[in-house]
Parts: sequence; C-alpha cells; structure tokens
Amino acid sequence: MSPINAIVLTGYGLNCDRETAYALEQAGAQAQRVHINALIDGSVALDAFQIMAFIGGFSWGDDHGAGVVQAVRLRTTIGDKLLDFIGQGKLVIGICNGFQCLVNLGLLPAIDNDYTRRSVALTHNDCGNFRDDWVHLATDPASACVFTQGMQSFELPVRHGEGKFFATPDLHQQLAASGQIVLRYATADGRPAQGVFPHNPNGSIDDIAGICDPTGRVFGLMPHPEAYNHWTNHPEWTRLKEKVRRGQADRPSDITPGVQIFKNAVNYFVS
Amino acid sequence: MASRIEITLKPDILDAEGESLRRKAREYFGIQTDSVRSVYIVTIDAALTADQLRRVRTEIFTNPVTQISSMDPLPVDADWIIWVGFRPGVRDNPGATAVEAMEDLLGVRLGPDEAVYTSKRYCIKGSLSEDEVRRIASQLLANDIIQQWKIFSAASWNPAEGVGIVVPKVRLDHVPTVSMLSIDSDDTLQRLSDERNLALNPNDIPVIRAYFLDPRVQAERARVGLSDPTDLELEYISQARSDHCNHNTFRGLFHYLDLATGESETISSLFKKCIQEPTLVLQKQKPWVVSVLWDNAGLGRFDEDHFYAITGETHNSPSNMEAYGGAITGIVGVYRDPMGTGLGSCLIMGSYGFCVGPRDYAGDLKPHLHPRRLLDGVIEGVRDGGNKSGIPTPFGQVLFDQGYMGKCLVFVTALGIMPATILGQPAEQKTILPGDLVIMCGGRVGKDGIHGVTASSETFSEHTPAGHVQIGDPYTQKKMHDFLLEARDEGLIRFITDNGGGGLSSSVGETALYSNGCEVQLEKVPLKYAGLDQWEIWVSESQERMTVAIAPENERRFFELSARHAVESTVIGRYTDTGKLHITYDGKTCAYVDLDLLQAGFPQWQFEAEWRTPEARGLFEPVLREPGDHTSVLRDMLARPNICAKEWITRQYDHEVQGTSVIKPLVGAQRDVNSDAAVLRPVLTSQRGLAFAQALLPFYSKIDAYHMTTCTIDEAVRRLIAVGGDPDHLGGVDNFCWPTIQYDPITNPDGRFKAAQLVRSCRALRDLCLAYGIPLLSGKDSMYVDGRLPGRYGETHKVSALESLQFSATSVIDDIARCVTLDPKMAGDLVYVIGTTRNEMGASEYYEMLGYVGCRVPEVQAEAFMQCYRALAGAIGQDMVASAHGIYRGGLGVHLAMTAMAGQVGLEVDLSAVPSSDHDDARRNDVLLYSESAGRFIVTVDPNLRASFETLFEGMPCACIGRVSADDRLQVRGLNGSTIIDISVPALKSAWKQPFGDLI
Repeated sequence: MSPINAIVLTGYGLNCDRETAYALEQAGAQAQRVHINALIDGSVALDAFQIMAFIGGFSWGDDHGAGVVQAVRLRTTIGDKLLDFIGQGKLVIGICNGFQCLVNLGLLPAIDNDYTRRSVALTHNDCGNFRDDWVHLATDPASACVFTQGMQSFELPVRHGEGKFFATPDLHQQLAASGQIVLRYATADGRPAQGVFPHNPNGSIDDIAGICDPTGRVFGLMPHPEAYNHWTNHPEWTRLKEKVRRGQADRPSDITPGVQIFKNAVNYFVS
Repeated sequence: MASRIEITLKPDILDAEGESLRRKAREYFGIQTDSVRSVYIVTIDAALTADQLRRVRTEIFTNPVTQISSMDPLPVDADWIIWVGFRPGVRDNPGATAVEAMEDLLGVRLGPDEAVYTSKRYCIKGSLSEDEVRRIASQLLANDIIQQWKIFSAASWNPAEGVGIVVPKVRLDHVPTVSMLSIDSDDTLQRLSDERNLALNPNDIPVIRAYFLDPRVQAERARVGLSDPTDLELEYISQARSDHCNHNTFRGLFHYLDLATGESETISSLFKKCIQEPTLVLQKQKPWVVSVLWDNAGLGRFDEDHFYAITGETHNSPSNMEAYGGAITGIVGVYRDPMGTGLGSCLIMGSYGFCVGPRDYAGDLKPHLHPRRLLDGVIEGVRDGGNKSGIPTPFGQVLFDQGYMGKCLVFVTALGIMPATILGQPAEQKTILPGDLVIMCGGRVGKDGIHGVTASSETFSEHTPAGHVQIGDPYTQKKMHDFLLEARDEGLIRFITDNGGGGLSSSVGETALYSNGCEVQLEKVPLKYAGLDQWEIWVSESQERMTVAIAPENERRFFELSARHAVESTVIGRYTDTGKLHITYDGKTCAYVDLDLLQAGFPQWQFEAEWRTPEARGLFEPVLREPGDHTSVLRDMLARPNICAKEWITRQYDHEVQGTSVIKPLVGAQRDVNSDAAVLRPVLTSQRGLAFAQALLPFYSKIDAYHMTTCTIDEAVRRLIAVGGDPDHLGGVDNFCWPTIQYDPITNPDGRFKAAQLVRSCRALRDLCLAYGIPLLSGKDSMYVDGRLPGRYGETHKVSALESLQFSATSVIDDIARCVTLDPKMAGDLVYVIGTTRNEMGASEYYEMLGYVGCRVPEVQAEAFMQCYRALAGAIGQDMVASAHGIYRGGLGVHLAMTAMAGQVGLEVDLSAVPSSDHDDARRNDVLLYSESAGRFIVTVDPNLRASFETLFEGMPCACIGRVSADDRLQVRGLNGSTIIDISVPALKSAWKQPFGDLI
C-alpha cells in the first residue's frame, strides 16, 4: 500500500509543525513540513498529499485577528488550489491558529457548499486573556466528521487568546442541524459545559470547540490534538501510572485520543 | 496623504478588552464605569486608491462576522474617549504585519517612506471625573515612554474628525556624520565621556589615550585618513569595556576583610576563582559537559545524538521603565542566545522570574510604575514573547519584596536543543576564516537601545524616536529562527552569534577575533529610517538580529533560504586576518582599530569588601513563645503573597506547545498546585526527559549571602531530585542581581558590606557546586539594582534590592515514565519526611510574617544532603515513590499543605516523628512546622513497599510521620500528642487561593 502523505504548513510564525508532523507519523502517515512559500512558489505541489494540516501558532503575530493575514496570503496566492484539494475528496484539519485561518478563508463552515464565505468567527476569549488548560470534550455522534469517528469524550489542551466561537443564531442552528458541530467543551462526566468557565474556557456559544464542513472532511478545532501525542502529556499521567502499578487501572494505549484524531484521517484513506 | 480606518466589534458582541479595562479600573482604583468599548485604528500613510483602501479595510482589517468599520470615526457612544498610540520610532508590530498583508492582497510594494501605524481609542460610558479618566489613561493604558495619549470629553469630541489622523513617523532630517574627537588630555576624554554618555571608567582613560597617541598607531591611521579617534571608535571601546559586556565587577580585584576575625583575602576575579575554575574541574569529571564558558549558552549532552543549550539573563532596567516592552525584549533576547550557540539550536523552553514591590503597595514612595502595574506588564511581556515564539514556558517564579521597588528584577531563561553533529561536523564548534562574509539577519537598525535608558529622561518632540525602550518582535524572530535552523542543517553556517547588548559593535567586534580582523561597510546595514549617524548604526541595540559568518560559496543558497522564509539578510562586510577592525561608510574610513586593543592593559576594577557577622550587625533571635492557634497560623502562611497561588499567571503562559510536556507547572488531582520542576521530552521520538527548575531565596541575604546562595542552589537541585532528576547530571546557571557594591561615603555608605556579601555568595557558589558536582553551564550578572524614588515630601530615597541570586538547574532523565509529582496518589500510603529539621528560622517566612529577621539562617550540609538525594533518586528510579515534594519556603507546615492540596486528600501526621536535630531547640511545634532547613522532602510510599523503601535510607534522616487519609483533612499532631492543626483541604485551598483568586 502506498503511504498516506500529509502536509504540515509552516512559516510566518506558525509553531506546532514538529509535533503535528510527529502525531501524524504516529498515526501512520508520512508527514512533511512545508513552508507556506514553498507551496506558493510551486516548489512543493499539493497533488502528492492526501491530508493537509493548518497548524497552531501565531501566524503574522495574530495581528489584525488570529489567522486573518494567513488567510489573505493563501487566498490571494493558492486559493484555487486549496479548493481543488477539498474538491478531490481529500482531508483538511485546522488546529487553533489553523482553525482560525480556515474560518477566515471560508473553508469552514462552508454552509451550502460555499467554501469562500466568512460566516463564523473565532474571537477574543471572554476571560480577556490567553489561557493554557486541559479541557474535556464531547463529540456529536451524529456528525459526519471523519476525524472524530468512534470517539465520544476525551481531553485535550487548549492554548489560545482568541478561541471564542461566534455565529449568528440562524447560522448556529444550521450548523447544529447539519451535524457540523463536531466538538463541544464539556465537564469531566461528558456533559456540555453550558458556558461555565473554565470548562468552557473562552465563552464559545453552545460550548463549540470544533466544527466541520458539510462533508465532514474539513475539520477545525481550537484544542490541540498534536499536544497529546504521548500518554505523559496528560496532566494526571503520574496518577494513572501509580494506579497501573498497583493493578487498579490498565496500561494506557500508545494511541492517545490526540493521535487517534489523526489516525482516523489516515484510516479514511486506508479503508 | 494618510488615511485612517476605524474598526470596532458589533454592539451585541462582548468586548473582552473593554471589560478587562473596566475590571482593572474598578479593582485598582475603585473607578466605576458603565461600559467600555474599544476602537482599533489603522492609519495608512501610503498612496492607495479609494478602491484599494476599501479592499484592505474589508478584506484584512474587518471581520465581517464580528466587526464593523469605517474610513470615518465610528459613532460609538461615549462620555469619555481615551486615545493611545505609539510614539515615533517605537516598534509597532501590528503596523508592520499590516504592510505585509496589504502588499499580499493588493500585489503592490509600499515605498520606503510609506508605513502603517496602529492605535486604539477606548469609549467609556459612566459618570467619571476628568481626573479619573486621566488616571485610567496614564496608569492603566499608556506609558509615556513609548506611547502618546489624549482624552476627549463628550463635549470636546468632534464626531467628524475623531482623534484626527496621527502619523508617528520618524523624521530625523540629519546627514550622517563621523566626528573626530580631540583627546588632548585625560580631562578632555573624561569630559567627552560625560557629554556622550560613554560611561568610561576613569582608570581606562589613560590606556585609551595611550593607544591613540602611539606613533605606530598614528602612522597606520594616517594611511586610512584618520588622526584623532572618531566618535564611532570611542563608542566601540566604551561598549566593549562596559560592565555589561566585560563583567568588570566579576573580574575585579576584591580586598575582603572579615571584621570579626581580622581574616583578609585579596581575590582577583570572582569569575575565575568561583565560576571558571570549579566548572573546568567538573568538566573533566563529567563527560556530559559539552561546551561551557565561551559561547552564548552552555551545552550539556542530552543523548547520543543531541545537546541541550541553556542560558539565563535579566532585563531589569528596561522593564522597570516600560514593563511590557522591557520584559518582551528580555525574553525574546535571551532566546537568541541558544540560537547563537554552537552552530545554532532550536528553542525548547523558557522560564521567568519576576521580583517586584508589594502588589498592594500603598506607601509614600513613588516608583515610575506601581508594582501592580509593573507586574501586569512584565507578565504580559514575557507571555507574548514566549507564546508568540512557539516556545513553552513551563516554569516561573514571582516574588514580592519592598527592596524591588527601586528596580524590579526580570529573569528570563532559555533552553534549546541541537543535533550533536551537522553533516558529520561537531555542532558545538565553530570558527571563522578570513574571507568569510559578515551577514546581518532579521530586523533593521534604528535608534533602539542606544545608551540604554539614560535617554529616557530626555524630552521628546513630536518626531524624535523613543526607541531607547524597545518592544520585542517575536514574529520576526520566529521566522529568523526557522530560517537559521534550515540553513544550519544544510551546513551553510560557519559561525553564528546574536546581536544583543552592544549591537554590531559587540557581535562583529567579538567574532572578528576568530579570523583576526574584519571590514564592515556600514552603508549596507538596512535601517528603519534614514538619518542615523555611523556610530549609531554600529552600537544600536535594535532587536531580532543575528550575526552570521558564511563561506562565500554558500552565499547564493543562504539568500535563497532567507527569501523563502521572508527574512531580511544582508552582507555587511568580510572577515579578514589583518588584526584590524576596519569600518567604512561609502568608502570612507570611520574606524580603524587594532582588535587586540581591548585585550591589553586595561586596569582591573577594585573593590573594598568588609564582612560583619549578623551578630555584629545587631541581628538576634526573637523571643517568641509558641502560638496556640496553629491552624490559623497555617492559613495565614498560605495566604502570604510569596506563598499563595498564582495560577492566574501560570495559565497565561503556553506551557505545552511543541507537544513535549511531561511535568507541567500545575499538577495534582485538580491541576492547580505548583510542581517542583518542569520535565520535557524535547526529542519526541525519545523516552528521555530534560528536567528544569529554579530557585530564588533572597530573604536569607538579610543574614548572610553565603547561606542565601547555598540554600538557593540546594533548592534548585532538590526540585530536580523530587521529579526524578539524576544526581549525576546536574547543570547550573547562576544569575546574580546585586545592589551597587562600590563604596562611596555619600551615595553608597554600605557598599563595602554589599561587596563582602558578593564575595561570600561567590565562595558559596564555588563550594556547593564542587560539593554537589554542578558545572556552571552559563551565568550572568546584573549589578546596580538600586533606584532613587521620590517620597512624600519631594525628597528622594535610595532603595536597594536584597542581594539576589537566581539559580537554574537542569538534569536529564533516562525514562520519563519514572517521573513523579508531589500529589499523594492513594489513601493509606505512608508519609515520610526525608532530611533533618533544625532550628533555622532566620529570615523565614514565619519570622517575616511576625515581623522578625532573626539570626539562624538555614545551612546546607552538602555531603549528608547528597547522600539522601541519591537514596531518593534510587527509590524513584525503582518506582517506589508515589509522590515526592521538596520542603521549601514556608517550611514543613506549608508544604504538607501543598502536598494535601495537590492530592486533594487528607494527611494525618505526627510532628514527634519528624527527624530533627538534637543539638538545638528544634523540638518545638512551630520550629518543626516553619523552619526552612534545607535538604528535606515529603514523600508518600505504598505501604507494601515500606521495608524496601526504608532499607534504602538506612542510617539517614528519614522517618514515617503518618499516612494519607481517606477523608480530606490535614491533621497534625503536636509534640505533646494533641492535635494542633485540623483543617479541611478545601479550607486550605481557599486560604491559599484567596489573595489573587479573582484574577484570570
């Protein structure tokens, strides 16, 4: 079987490239870190890839709105190639700054299959500050999202200052109805956070942490799956270790929920 | 013709920035507001058509979902409006990225005279007085040093004009000139030094003159058209001879006298005796020490294929003037050190240490920035610098003391990782060959940082650059970082170093020593704006720049990669072997100096140091009876500013970017108690870990800086041991921050004592590093931590900081799965205390709370302690330990509480079982609970492992003092058998979190 190739965009202040590439490799993909300008000048072509990762970081310093300038640059240079990539049935994931970029490109939520319209926003956290914390997440089992198939609730870290998901009530309803609300912030027992800080860390409407396009092949989320690439990334892993040592818990799987998200993407092509 | 775009959030969307301003106005000053809405202003000073402006407004600057915008002032309802913008020449990061975005969108290039400026206005509703609005503007929003501001009442606001169109452009209208300066006498040169802020040491002046008067030198200079020294040459010498660059204090001659014993000693160079010599001895013993004492950072071996780099810096004076700018410049600046170490390393973590005055200070002294505001600023500066660089910040400390009112301390530490070889060549080595190109990469050069903060007292005009206080630009630096690593991996880099203090003068001047000469064409250096004199280009400290040497044959590829990464790089000269630093501008020589001038003949600085014992200084143990209400004591101890929870700070720092986090800064059942140390997995494919911790215990300097130093080092080491660090791999970084030590009867009457404290501190550093086997991988000193503050009546007070040493320590862990955290994991586990508690209450938190200093400061018993550390490391290595925690500031009582809070479990312990010293009166409940004796841990152990655990500690002070209970109460039995503390864990947590609890 030929390998599943994943492209991880880098440059201009993006910064989660190494761990995203690592998580993709853990998931069985072959990951290549590619500078945005190498895509633009054509020295690397998108054709060779099946999965495209828009990663976390501070592209252009997050000035003028997180992910905005990155979206401007990509749209004006290779906007059509991105649309082709999606049109070919390939997969796109946008994490944190990448999610912000996808939303500003209009690749999400792509209501009515319009992949160019900016219709939702990720704006400043209600708490007024950048925040690093682990959150509980619950998926919508009805969602078509490729990346979260078979996953129900899990934990991931959030690290952002502009992660509050915002949409008009109409649009929000549309998203909910079409199963595009993939991930919600939740309490430890998997119930929706109902806006309560810090379970919902940013004040997102309807606790929204991640959405997909109508096909489920384009996925954006604020939490960082790539930062949960090893069981020792979890904030309570030393507690779990002691339970395992005393026979009170099972050994954790090598595939963390974070890696599973990427594995689902790889499996999509394998199956 | 400039245009202005105003942007604001739609009215139904919460304005988080406005809300946080409201909260601060209320909490800091009791000023009530009804609402605050912020308006973002983008001023475009470029020739764009109306259609182009519309496109950039709608497609870049306005989010159609959340924002509205207009080319005219937006009609946002307000009773008061505050406008805040940058002064000319201050780094406007969003302004710079706006230019990039506009050029991308429009497919045009802005001209050299065109630019974009950003500013903000805040629309306040509420019945505020003008004074209150001024207070918000000047004490919350703007700092006069870098910003300008205006206020408008509703009546004075012209809705058509708004704030006007403000273009803070730098216009110098100056023709760059090199001046020759006559130095006909020592007095003349001294006068020049004063006039030009050269800060030349009077003892250096004859040496400098002798050089320029030497007939051989004069003859050579005549051949390049020079006679008297130029301004550039004197600036170069001044930079190179400064204490900052040359460490004259640490290399000075100390005459130390112990007034009690009459013992005297003359020490030539504390650096050589106490830092270099022990480190060289240890380097021979420890093969993991790769590179120390010469490069921008030290290198230790991480594994077969990787080295880690570490260094630490301070950025005190700039942060004290402009907290945000100083701190962000500090952290971004220290990140360039590992980047410039060996052939360059990839940054893997940073840490911070902030020392400021009391956050609630309400006394008569008037510092430039109130400690609360200063702390807010430095937190945000290091936050943006680290987060935007994509480098995790998993460790930090904050400390309050009135001594830091004079000048705050901002410690910033950086770690990197590099492959052991690059294309088969050792990556820790580098050199320069004659003919190599001198390349400047990254940012451009402006009047930034020239002569540091001395310029801050000068008056400003509308277009004079306020660049002496800088704002770091992590975005530009991150691009450069990525570029340079790629260039390194292709083998393109021969030498790399950073441009920090001293700018090109320092980086090119120092690297030229490797090839023994260089020629620089200053007109090639890219500038932020025209009109800089040649000497300014040479010494400017503009940030985000590295100096790189490459072989000429690599030029094409190097510049290809530079363009790919959108990084500006420029060839500014060529290295030679002429022995000369030869600088020209448009072909005309402006400096021609022998490189070895700086090596030769400058006299050593001299210091008188006089030690008086604590007793001779009138310190004594307070006469205290034991308290009756121990539960209240503990609760109040937990709420002390230097003990209480600071989660609000920790969570602002991204501590898991790069996906390497193993032990986070906050751990435990509720993930809210500080871990002992940070552990990373910097090579994602490896199970090895890098542990890092810091300590800062300046309080003990009130008694003796010797013991301050040993206790600080011991704490940093214990922190590493507690998480599973390897006692055979301990690397250290010393960061000294000291008040002025040069005696002066009027301005520094206790200078001799402070000098003695420094000598003692350095001796302690040497003694304990040798005893524990800690090579000093890197270190820095920052002297002159004093300030002059106006008081109530217009008088000024000199305020000096406590003699402070931040010690950073690293260790490598074979298998991260062995790491432990401080939270007890299971009810029924046994609680042990390792280490002896002595009656060492001097300068403790407990004494401080009760208003005493005392005399008996904690002392380190290196050999006995290390025996316990090895035993504990063995126990952790065999998975015998469920939790481990060092006992630090606040003593056993406070740290039992930390342990219980972390596990969210009760503890039942008996003080009579605590190992304590028989020789002093340690067996008192308050001494056992609050003495800060070093060398101790609290450990919990599975009862099934009791025998094997205890065997490991045979003959050592280690005792089971109780167990982890199933309920949630901390219960402490006193020496007479009765329960003296009984408090629930939630009650402990509420006391501990209350002081800063509502901050996010």
